[in-house]
Amino acid sequence: MPEYDAVVIGAGNGGLTGALTLARAGRKVLLLERHNVPGGCATSFVRGRFEFEVALHQLSGMGSAERPGPLRAVLNDLGVMDKLEFVEMENLYRVVWPDTFDITLRAERNAIVETLQDRFPKEKENIPRFFDLVYGFSMEMVQGLFFKDPEISKEKYPLFFKYALTPTRKVLDEYFSDPLLKAVLSIYWSYAGVPPTWLSFGDFAIMLFAYIEFKPYHLKGGSQALSNALLDEFINNGGEVRFNCGAKKIATKGGRVTGVVTEQGDTVQTRYVLSNASMLQTYLDLMDPDQVPRETLEGFRSTSIGPSAFSIYMGFDCEPEELGIQETTNFITTTTDMDKAFARWKTMEQQGVALFTCYDVSDPDFSPPGTCQAAFVSLQYGDPWSLVPPHQYYDAKYRYAEGMMELAEKAFPGVRGHIEEMEIATPMTHLRYLGHLGGAIYGHDQYTKDTPYFMANRSPVQGLYFAGAWAMQGGFQPTLTSGRSAAKGILKSMAKK
Amino acid sequence: MSLKDVIHDIEGYQDIKSEIAVLKKYGFDYSAQRGRLDSILDMLHPKKLRLCVSEIIDETKSAKTLRLVPVQGYLPPFQAGQYISLVVEIGGVVTSRDYSMSSSPSQIGYYDVTVRRVGDGFVSEYLLDEAKPGDEFASSSPAGNFYYNPLIHGRDLVFIAGGSGITPFMSMIREVAGRGLDRRIHLFYGSQSPDDIIFGQEIEDLSRRHSNITWTSVISDPPQGYQGRAGFISADLMKEVLGDLSDRMFFLCGPEAMYTFCRKELAGLGVPGRRMRNEMYGPPKNITACQGWPEYIDADATVSVSMKGGKTITVRSTEPLMNSLERNGIVIPSLCRSGECSLCRTKLLKGKVFQPEGVKLRKSDRQFGYIHPCMAYPISDIEILLQ
Repeated sequence: MPEYDAVVIGAGNGGLTGALTLARAGRKVLLLERHNVPGGCATSFVRGRFEFEVALHQLSGMGSAERPGPLRAVLNDLGVMDKLEFVEMENLYRVVWPDTFDITLRAERNAIVETLQDRFPKEKENIPRFFDLVYGFSMEMVQGLFFKDPEISKEKYPLFFKYALTPTRKVLDEYFSDPLLKAVLSIYWSYAGVPPTWLSFGDFAIMLFAYIEFKPYHLKGGSQALSNALLDEFINNGGEVRFNCGAKKIATKGGRVTGVVTEQGDTVQTRYVLSNASMLQTYLDLMDPDQVPRETLEGFRSTSIGPSAFSIYMGFDCEPEELGIQETTNFITTTTDMDKAFARWKTMEQQGVALFTCYDVSDPDFSPPGTCQAAFVSLQYGDPWSLVPPHQYYDAKYRYAEGMMELAEKAFPGVRGHIEEMEIATPMTHLRYLGHLGGAIYGHDQYTKDTPYFMANRSPVQGLYFAGAWAMQGGFQPTLTSGRSAAKGILKSMAKK
Repeated sequence: MSLKDVIHDIEGYQDIKSEIAVLKKYGFDYSAQRGRLDSILDMLHPKKLRLCVSEIIDETKSAKTLRLVPVQGYLPPFQAGQYISLVVEIGGVVTSRDYSMSSSPSQIGYYDVTVRRVGDGFVSEYLLDEAKPGDEFASSSPAGNFYYNPLIHGRDLVFIAGGSGITPFMSMIREVAGRGLDRRIHLFYGSQSPDDIIFGQEIEDLSRRHSNITWTSVISDPPQGYQGRAGFISADLMKEVLGDLSDRMFFLCGPEAMYTFCRKELAGLGVPGRRMRNEMYGPPKNITACQGWPEYIDADATVSVSMKGGKTITVRSTEPLMNSLERNGIVIPSLCRSGECSLCRTKLLKGKVFQPEGVKLRKSDRQFGYIHPCMAYPISDIEILLQ
């Protein structure tokens, strides 16, 4: 029976960085991936002359070479930076309420404050105060939490202790009265998948702070380039990968991992498994029920499966300017009531907020000359989609997409007339390719109660570790980082033996 | 000291702890969800299908329809124009070929695939001559990107079919007629001789009963005294039959030569690229005639293919790598067999392959040395990594 130091299940962001970390430490690693290509969400697909980016909109945490952010440091450590080319985005985002309001924020603190003061003169005093809070809080969080200050206390880090778990909306209401301004400032809530009412200020502030300070980044060749680079480096370090071959079972004995049975029926021996599959699916479908402690599944009772996405990928036969597209990142919204927008994610009604990303604005080489592409995404829970009878599925998909296109047309009139290629992904598409219930793209819902402060992230099964959105938080930076952390945990445990 | 020791000092911490306690008591019990993921997936996108031939229908002298029913369970839905990849074993070689469904997607009891004799078709010959009711086949789920998209394709459709390229259109026409959809279709259907027209009677009947469905049959090699239209589906013919071409969406399915010819004709009539869509067509009939094929490699050239950590085989340069592997008992995942779907994506470690135009590689796959063996021709000794 072949033997590995560790088996990594799933070549998503976390699986890839985890597998690479282990391989670079000289461990013998087998990486199993059920799909034919590495990346999970971090992938692309080709239609006609376009290669569509599936998931990456704005990479966070990169920072510049001179002022590296935490993600750049991780990628540097993993030895893949020389294979990749990053492009810094000048702007944070544009938010547009068609026919009502339209604003673009630069990824620079002073510029944001000025733009907002100019557009919301009544809130002139409050705007800089709010940014003082975001920055003050974030600095405390970085010092106290990320750098693990041994003298952490309420007295030393008052903002952190006051606001980390406070709902974002409460803070916004404290500082501002204009609902439009609150919506403009908090629009990144959709990256977290939780509306300001329930999103912790800690999660929100650090996200806004990081995007401004480290700037949003685009990656040449898209997220697939990153996935391919990580895998290539893994192979170069002696790692072994099997595509079109998922894991069928994690074998355990006496509460300790002993091996993995692959989809093709092979059994491999190992004492360590790093699962990049959903935590829930790992316990439910990859382990014998009697090997999963009861409390473990009960622990999931307080969580709920997070949102999936409805995405329309469009390839246009013209340049962005011809379509009136001037920004890479465009949030198109019809409401300032974010709770309402969020509630609609659970229905198949027309969306209140959707994100229209045109990569070619930041990277003119992204699509072939004379063309450009956009990903138009709104988050959606999987539930209503799993209730659609199979033979009505395609009708439902087009009906929903039609509503989305009407919204796109409001922000970019005439956009539909230039579409050469289109592909539509529903939550069922994500469920299919990711293998998660609900097609969840960020793992479970990230309400304040689901933040790492309250999570027991150690598995009760010895040798079983987790990486990816379900282990921590969704998004590129968190998942890429999670794999590396989990692998370090495994290496530490191996060293003890 | 660490955060753990002072975490209760964070404002709101205790409240959230109590929320969690309540939710743990009354929240959702996931233990009943074992196997649910697969059961959802099986309704829409099962990994594999097991199909049984329920009936074989003679269409023309050279074409038959195989009616396929599920061995177990239900058939997943498809979009008119999509195909399944049927797996066959012929003389010990396991291979697969794609066949578009010719039945309507509203017909949920069976899939019809219509197969036509093409002379050198390894699998088609087998299906026409050997398959019989009761035979079982493994197949992929429906796949493919040649279908109508109501968001962008409009209501005015022109189908251009050559030979067995009629099959996806038959599915689309049957769907529009059967569901009474608000779309106008004109079909140009090119056949070699009047005897080769598949579904001729049914199309004629449908066009009589549905004013939104019309067709023009064009015979390239007409017998003496043939009264109908003869020649090719040319710009002149399309202009004459259709009149105004604006806002029409053109779909093409047929042999490679037809795409080259018709696309040029349409471009000449001012039809923009985004208003034409064609089905893929598999490996070219003669790879040595493809643009960019190295002239110094003749049709009989052989090279060696070694699989890292495995065996080495000798293959013909002019056969797609995937077919050569299958001939040697090495079956790698396949679906479109046209260079498009990337299911067979394989890492090339050493040597060179020729991939004709139309192979859809991701930019970074190209950068890191991946190839699509279904449309890759080894032109030197190569080493590949089967993963």
